[in-house]
Amino acid sequence: MKPHQVRAFGKDLIGMGLLLLFLILFLFSDRLSSTQYIQDLPGAWVNVNTLFLSIVIEAVPFILLGVFVSAMIQIYVSEETIQRYLPKNAIGALFPAAVLGAIFPLCECAIVPVVARLVKKGMPLHVGVVFLVAAPILNPIVFASTFFAFGSNWTHPVLLSRMGLAFILSIIIGFVLYMLFKNTRQLRAQAQSLTDHAHNHEHNHTHSSGGKPTFMTRIKETVYHAVDEFFLMGKYLILGALIAAMFQTFLDRSLLQTIGANEYSSTLVMMGFAYLLSLCSEADAFVAASFPQFSAGSLIAFLVYGPMLDLKNTFMLFAYFRVKFVIAFMITVTITVFLSILFVNRFVLPNWYMWF
Amino acid sequence: MREYDFSFHAFIQGIILIGFALLMLWFVLSGNIVYYIAPKMMPFVYFGLVTFFILGIVQVFRSTKKNDSSGAACTCGHDHRIPGPPIVKLLIYSIFILPVLMGFVLPDRALDSSVASNRGMIYGSGNSPSADAAQEAGRQTEAAETAEEEQSTADEYLEDPEGYMESLEADTSGTGEAPSPDEMDEHFTVEDFYDQEGFDQYYVELAEKLKHEDVITVTEDNYLDIMTVMDVHLDEFIGKDIEMIGFAFREPDFDDHQLVAARFSMTCCTADAGVYGTLIESSHAKEIEEDTWIHVYGTIKEGEYNGYRLPVITDADLNEVEEPDSPYVYPSFRF
Repeated sequence: MKPHQVRAFGKDLIGMGLLLLFLILFLFSDRLSSTQYIQDLPGAWVNVNTLFLSIVIEAVPFILLGVFVSAMIQIYVSEETIQRYLPKNAIGALFPAAVLGAIFPLCECAIVPVVARLVKKGMPLHVGVVFLVAAPILNPIVFASTFFAFGSNWTHPVLLSRMGLAFILSIIIGFVLYMLFKNTRQLRAQAQSLTDHAHNHEHNHTHSSGGKPTFMTRIKETVYHAVDEFFLMGKYLILGALIAAMFQTFLDRSLLQTIGANEYSSTLVMMGFAYLLSLCSEADAFVAASFPQFSAGSLIAFLVYGPMLDLKNTFMLFAYFRVKFVIAFMITVTITVFLSILFVNRFVLPNWYMWF
Repeated sequence: MREYDFSFHAFIQGIILIGFALLMLWFVLSGNIVYYIAPKMMPFVYFGLVTFFILGIVQVFRSTKKNDSSGAACTCGHDHRIPGPPIVKLLIYSIFILPVLMGFVLPDRALDSSVASNRGMIYGSGNSPSADAAQEAGRQTEAAETAEEEQSTADEYLEDPEGYMESLEADTSGTGEAPSPDEMDEHFTVEDFYDQEGFDQYYVELAEKLKHEDVITVTEDNYLDIMTVMDVHLDEFIGKDIEMIGFAFREPDFDDHQLVAARFSMTCCTADAGVYGTLIESSHAKEIEEDTWIHVYGTIKEGEYNGYRLPVITDADLNEVEEPDSPYVYPSFRF
């Protein structure tokens, strides 16, 4: 065999070995987990395992749903269509942009390259910003997952505040960034030649094959897209679930109570978590529901801030936009979310029952 | 740059997806899924299971197409390569394999008392907050108001059922989470009163029905309902016999004869589980080890814990029992 054949054989072997391992585990799981060594594991770690798997199994169907819808939109909807429906007036475009963002269920990592592409194609920067922050929250899938995570209650303050704030804040953030940057070009030079760079997540909907793709091709593309996207974002969810599970098992309750009791610190702490955990907006509600020590206000902060800005999409933003713009964007989002949560804490949540 | 082997990555990804499907299938077949997911979320689990199988198989087939060079058959040009050097790729795939391995190898068990103590016990229906919630309440400006309200919840309800229900709806604590500071005067959880209209009929009827029974038998199905009724209508239940099942739990400040029979209430998954507990007083409470499941038979009396009025089961007979098939209790949703 030639060297490359050996390598190919080795790779096949790795895959087959993995499959075999899964099958053996599937067949003998009962016997494995009842061995003395496993049974003697400290109870706390079993709890971590239970919580971790619970979050993953719970969130994964929602991730899949989100990934499918996102994949379909990327294949069936062109940027030109989106552009056509936007008003030409800069400020006037803010509101329809937020509405449009609401019907595009793209999560926070999928939206960055889409917005970069849209802006490159001539969409005003601030409209792109509205998309960037509205789309990951204001969509049916995030609504559904938040609804289920918070007790299947239509009038739950976390659910409605999350959606309401996402809508209002996206317009405010878009407006602030319009004031700061107007219509200047903020894309990095690198982003101008997206096609050349392997690590950029570029969207090019001019189908290279030329002719109109068949229905089957599109189905196939959707499925491929969904799988790729699942592997792109799934790792953030799994790590987030693991961290959250350990957090829930080991963190001293009294410490949390101290942080959670203070309006300012609990909001900041939850925003910090949201940023670091980098959860996908389709599943973060389940993790938020797992922080029972925190007030509704800080949970809303977690659920509004995280999808708008987190560790993983910061990297993506820096890849596409100029440093100055990204920093201004981050500061604007952070301050706006924090202030709005203080407002919600003071004026909205205490009077919640009057509205429902 | 090294050449990216699309075929290999599609293969590995396909097998990982099949691994996820196998894990979910195993949980469903063995019935161990009850430790992780609430029954009402099962449709989503089935959806995930089937989708993972399909995606996994599609992905394995995709891998057999040689030289899909340009970044996949997906002509949209969206590049989804797993980035980085081989070691990073290995790490990323390990992250995906981790839950599958943990799921198969580690034992499937319900949450236990160490999580309970981390979460804070909710006594009764959550009407009376745990020690920590009480401390937190003490920090609130409306502390005095809160205490007053605590004592008169039942009265308040009788006087103004409509307004009382509205204020209950305001509660954010779907699963026994500590409510936001401004809502500390409401300790009921949403699911206890999920159906606003059903409240007066359902709970008053239940209270009426329970009063005529010789022994109140608490089961998985009526657990949260009975906890709620006992809290709201405590006076009417004093002196009645009751039997229930729960796992043993102790607060650090408990006496020898005190114990809690606790249950986790799960709305969606264990991450949102809250812990409900009923205070037990029994001379042989000290013989019971933490986390053992006990059957409790005793008499309801009015008690107090951390300054809150709650039902206590006195002179209780305690018998060790097997863990029930469904270790958690679920809020009853009446859609």
